[in-house]
Amino acid sequence: MLKFIPLRAQAGITGFESPAAEYKQLGLDLDQLLIDHPEATYIGYAEGESMTGVGIFSGDLLIISRVEPVRNNDIIVANLNGDFVCKLVDKKNKRLLSSAAGYRPYYLNQGDEFEIEGVCIRSIRLHRPLSHVL
Amino acid sequence: MYALCDVSSMYASCEKVFDPKIRKKPVVVLTNNDGCICAVCPVAKKMGLTKMFAPFFQVREQLEEIGAVVRSSNYELYADLSQKMMDVCAKFAPHIHVYSIDECFLYYGKTNRYVPSEGWEAHAMAIRQKVWRSVRLPIGVGIASTPTLAKAANHAAKKIAGFNGVAVIDTQQQRYRVLSQMKVTDVWGIGRRLGKRLNALGIESAWQLANLKRGWARKHFSILVESTVDELNGTVKFNWDEVRSAKREIYSTRSFGQRIYQAKALRNALVFHAQIVAGKLRKQGSLVKSMTIFAASSVHDSAGYYRKSVQHVFCTPTNDTSKIAAVCTASLNALFKQGIGFYRCGVGLVDLVDEHQYQQDLFTPAADSSALMQCIDDINQTFGRDSVFVASRGVKQKFAMRRDYLSPQYTTCWRDLPRIKCN
Repeated sequence: MLKFIPLRAQAGITGFESPAAEYKQLGLDLDQLLIDHPEATYIGYAEGESMTGVGIFSGDLLIISRVEPVRNNDIIVANLNGDFVCKLVDKKNKRLLSSAAGYRPYYLNQGDEFEIEGVCIRSIRLHRPLSHVL
Repeated sequence: MYALCDVSSMYASCEKVFDPKIRKKPVVVLTNNDGCICAVCPVAKKMGLTKMFAPFFQVREQLEEIGAVVRSSNYELYADLSQKMMDVCAKFAPHIHVYSIDECFLYYGKTNRYVPSEGWEAHAMAIRQKVWRSVRLPIGVGIASTPTLAKAANHAAKKIAGFNGVAVIDTQQQRYRVLSQMKVTDVWGIGRRLGKRLNALGIESAWQLANLKRGWARKHFSILVESTVDELNGTVKFNWDEVRSAKREIYSTRSFGQRIYQAKALRNALVFHAQIVAGKLRKQGSLVKSMTIFAASSVHDSAGYYRKSVQHVFCTPTNDTSKIAAVCTASLNALFKQGIGFYRCGVGLVDLVDEHQYQQDLFTPAADSSALMQCIDDINQTFGRDSVFVASRGVKQKFAMRRDYLSPQYTTCWRDLPRIKCN
């Protein structure tokens, strides 16, 4: 079930001061909400449909943190033989898993160039295209 | 104690962060207009590319032979990654001084008694690892009791065998070990010319320099050399304020992507530079009293070198873009010559005064539109450089920098965000 997260976007207005003055401070900043470590975070676009099971669709924005500890089964972005890929990491069995039907697990080989770049801590769906920037 | 953190082959390293395909390849980065090589990654160095600032056309074949990846300078990317690297470093010490795009000093306080609980060596290692983990840039860390020694330690960290990216000078033995393996020209502030003079007197190593008598160094060289000797012996002589003080001259000059033959195009270019210097002037809170404007062909031209410059002294010091631009336009007749293929031009503000210290002339009141300038700066700050500009600059920039091998602006442009495969 989809849950709606109510964000309190309200100013505590008390007394008789001009309410307008309070509202000036109200600009909410998505960076502040979504990015924990700005110096270690970058954004990328997802391309492909292998992660739809965790809600990542082609064209989504991925927010990747390089300092977030990598736990088993986390959604990670890694350099796999020269490409950035987004997968679920199975640390125990040294596998990269997709989360959509029809994709086989990838077993990491000795010869593979593999580095975890970071943990995908958030993903953003663009229900209407970002026509003004893209 | 001081720590100097600097990124190894900054520009080349930055190119590798968002392009995993080239991480193991030799990478070189070219300067403005793709003229010379200005950064060489360690892989390329190992393959024999050691000549820095070699003209691109001279080493082109060699680059092709070893399969090197060639990139134009992507300043947007480097500036952003630099900022991130500095932010990571800043967390390790109470004070940070950003010295250049790829290096910063961390300062831990006056007393040398403070030692982090994990020890200096482990601390240096922690900074290095944290920067690698957070930003994917390789840095060297040198820690010592003075800025000059920290620089020396940083040199050791990267260049002397036995140190792997970090070096700490906190004992006499360690100081000897580092300084005795350093050439005198590797010491901060000792350039090639000073180095030659020192060599002529038999002073080859940094250790020999450190053992000079102070008075002698001052008498035969300068206060600067004496201070360097002091710093190499553990007495702090340099401080940030000297380095950080407002610039006494501001220049904006650049070579053109293509030769310019028309007066109007030259004017546009000059006004473009006027805008840059005026913005910098306001940012540091100064006014300009006199400026120089120049235009030139290339020194390599067979037809002979042409260079003209014009000086202008303002009656009332100013930092108004329109006034500085107007002087550029007015000097066009003196600079331009038919038939010359102009290769470079620029504007230099050579005599500056502090905005707050300047006393206005009773009879010539300042007519600067400071509110308008503030407004322009604010708009450009918010909406990006050149959102508004002086019209005489020309709307379309024909002389834009040549960057044929430019990588995407992975972190500063929405269109260029890295692509991550889900397949």
